[in-house]
Amino acid sequence: MLNTFFKCETGSRMRYIGLLISAMFVLLSVFTIAQKGLNFGLDFTGGYLTEFTTSQGVELKQLEQFIAKNHQGEFELTAQGNNHFQLTQAPSEEANNDAWKTAISQNPTINAEVLSSAYIGSQVGDELFEQGCLALFAAMVAVMIYLAVRFEWRLALGSVVALLHDLVLVVGLFSWLQIEFNLTVLASLLAIIGYSLNDSIIVGDRVRELLRIPTNITLKPSSIINSAIKSTLTRTLITSGTTLATVASVWLLAGTPLQGFAIALFAGIVVGTLSSICIAATLPELLGLSAKNYDKQVDQQTQALMDMP
Amino acid sequence: MLSLKKDKKQFKAKFKLSYVAMLIVLVLLAISALPNLYPNKSWLQISAASDVKTQVMPSTENLVSFLNSQGFEVSESLKDQANINVLLNTPTQSAQAQAALKSNFPNTQVKIVEHATSPIWLQEFGLSPIKLGLDLNGGVLFVLDVDLNKAIDEQLLSAYQQTKAIIVKQKAYGVKAKQTNQGFEISALENAGDKLTVVIKELKSRFENLTTTTSTNGNLQVVKISYSEQGRSAFDKEVMSQTLTTLRSRIEELGITEAVTQRQGKQRIRIELPGVQDPAEAKRIIGATASLGFYQLKERGGQTFNLQSGGTIKLDPVPIFTGEHINNANIGRDDWGKPLVQLSLDSQGGDAMSAFSKANIGKPMATLHSEYSQNAKGEVVKKSEVINVANIAQHLSSRFSITNMQSQQAAADLALLLRAGSLTAPVTIVHEQTIGPSLGQDNINNGLAALMLGMGLTLAFMALWYRRLGLIANVALILNLTSLVGLMSLLPGVVLTLPGIAGLVLTIGMAVDTNVIIFERIKEERRKGRPPYQAIQEGYKQAANTILDANITTMITAIILYGIGYGPVKGFAITLALGLITSVFTGVYVSKYLSQSLYLKLGKKAGVNAHA
Repeated sequence: MLNTFFKCETGSRMRYIGLLISAMFVLLSVFTIAQKGLNFGLDFTGGYLTEFTTSQGVELKQLEQFIAKNHQGEFELTAQGNNHFQLTQAPSEEANNDAWKTAISQNPTINAEVLSSAYIGSQVGDELFEQGCLALFAAMVAVMIYLAVRFEWRLALGSVVALLHDLVLVVGLFSWLQIEFNLTVLASLLAIIGYSLNDSIIVGDRVRELLRIPTNITLKPSSIINSAIKSTLTRTLITSGTTLATVASVWLLAGTPLQGFAIALFAGIVVGTLSSICIAATLPELLGLSAKNYDKQVDQQTQALMDMP
Repeated sequence: MLSLKKDKKQFKAKFKLSYVAMLIVLVLLAISALPNLYPNKSWLQISAASDVKTQVMPSTENLVSFLNSQGFEVSESLKDQANINVLLNTPTQSAQAQAALKSNFPNTQVKIVEHATSPIWLQEFGLSPIKLGLDLNGGVLFVLDVDLNKAIDEQLLSAYQQTKAIIVKQKAYGVKAKQTNQGFEISALENAGDKLTVVIKELKSRFENLTTTTSTNGNLQVVKISYSEQGRSAFDKEVMSQTLTTLRSRIEELGITEAVTQRQGKQRIRIELPGVQDPAEAKRIIGATASLGFYQLKERGGQTFNLQSGGTIKLDPVPIFTGEHINNANIGRDDWGKPLVQLSLDSQGGDAMSAFSKANIGKPMATLHSEYSQNAKGEVVKKSEVINVANIAQHLSSRFSITNMQSQQAAADLALLLRAGSLTAPVTIVHEQTIGPSLGQDNINNGLAALMLGMGLTLAFMALWYRRLGLIANVALILNLTSLVGLMSLLPGVVLTLPGIAGLVLTIGMAVDTNVIIFERIKEERRKGRPPYQAIQEGYKQAANTILDANITTMITAIILYGIGYGPVKGFAITLALGLITSVFTGVYVSKYLSQSLYLKLGKKAGVNAHA
């Protein structure tokens, strides 16, 4: 008995420490985002993007000079490794001129092959960004409504705060490392909403279940939450593990177009797993969740909803 | 032992039917997934150009040796009635080969056509592989912005010009039209009220969506003409649907099959041209706004236009007929070898032309060519030019030609545009993307490699961690992937993109979650001391709630993603949503059946042992 009590206490202590660390990371992320901003990709800034490969190794500097000779207007050339280059231009009159493409593909030493080219008007970029933010917002509101109906408000709030924490941390990471933030990364943020909630819900579900057991009414909420976490921990770790393994294989093998997407999801799943324990389960306790308020608040209608299979 | 037998019987009676249904669904989805093992091949289809009278088709041998000499290795060639079909060894080169053929055999039409390679019986069921998005297939994407404001301004201007003409025609003295900021207004003296009604009635019969607001200003009656909110949205809708139709037929004229043309948002149009590699020609034709109108010359009340040859001319603002009544247009040459466009009109246009030319023999008729273009400031302006003024020599019918074309190319483009219809609103390309076929193939290969690795890791882990139960989870997982691929091939409008493949890989990782939740529950129940069969039942029952909650929230985000995202992102959302459905189906129902029947078999063995 003493032993389990001691364990529970350690569990709680760890959760509190985790909560503090999470709060610190959120502050750090917000600071980084405010300071450094995001490295928006072509999807949001608008402009021209051309990808090409050269048949043999060419120095970046050399290539840059060659293109500058054949092209007016500013451009930015980056090497992607493996004789693979990427050229970006801001949307402008001069950029809409393909003479340099012919020049690099006809030059015998460069002998480039254009793999893909894209143009996005700046207005479209702004619209996509607005739409993306709208989608994030709409998804959060919809999920909040669902949780509020299905769970006690303290548990629901805990999950939502955990979710916001995950999003802020992932965006913070992208800002800190200045990884390109494009449309697929935005899509992965939406996917993170789904996955992060998954973990929180499973813990919350178990907390709710334990709170409803009549004999548990005498137990402290913190020990109920600890035992809920303990009994779901294996599942959480296995699922996060298999999902991380698949995301990692996308990261490793699916190539550059999905790199940002995979990084965002990987980070999202890691912080999502931690936050489901440190935030989603701890916050309701701090807000005063106990078996008693479950007893009173459950009227017949919500009971019926909760018993829904 | 007795209770177990009873259990078995109940279980068998209760579940037999639903399990038969489950089996049927699984088999059907697996069959739908089959065609994906036989990817489509792109063939080059060569036929004689439609507008060439003398059909000079090169022979199959000729074509094949030409292609081989250009470095395109031909793997197969087939000849049917009108076409020669050629399959290259590396089909990703088809677009380059198409361009080479076009320039070497100008009298032919070369298309890239997708041919299914799956067995005939699958094709007869109408089953085909999942459609691939541009990022996997290679091709060109355009997003066009339709300038609805400009279109409505033009419409109001035209209404104003026509009102002036109506006033002259109706001899409505005392009625005047004047342009304002929001359109125009017609004012009439008190004694000209009757004439005003007549003018407005005729105007409204020509422009249905216009609204009028009448007020009096001293002894003047003023009618403001504008578009109401409702009339405007009706007009916008009309313009958008007309633009879509026109663009579709233009793409058809270009010989591009399997193009996707759809509306995106309020005033955007998304065009995906799979297999196209050179966007230049498509861009020139798709964005062209040239339109033709035929007008009578008019000195009084006429509108002034520029002549292509210099100078100005006054024309009746109401056309005799416009380009929309042109049924067919072909290029040709006149007696001096200059290019011309031969037209044939539909019955309405033919009647108008016939009546007009009969009454006006010896009088001139003008051909007005209008086109939107961007000026130096980047604003879209309409440029109208009279390209041709000709005296009507005889009574014309529905066939005649327009001479004075500047070049062969100009004549060919105009003929194409006249065949496909003109755009009423100017369009600008706001998003353009070209994805090379080799990049598309790379994306497919990389995506599949990621899928294999992710799947392999997950299967290995589940088998090691859960042993016998893990085997069930793995069977469920493989069935899940098969069902998902089958469902995606079956549903029309589902397109697989690179992020979609990522969604597929993710689904694999997440799908085991359902089984993990259940298995952990079963283990827990076993620890509480329940016998295996009951533990399985309890585990599935207890986990149902949690699984539902977890999947509904993810489903909400997938639906929102689908509703708001475009292109590749939409592909991701579709795979995510369908993956949730199939993973609940296989993870809960199929694996429940599997674990129960596995247990029943074990139970039987145990029972036999006990008796022995």
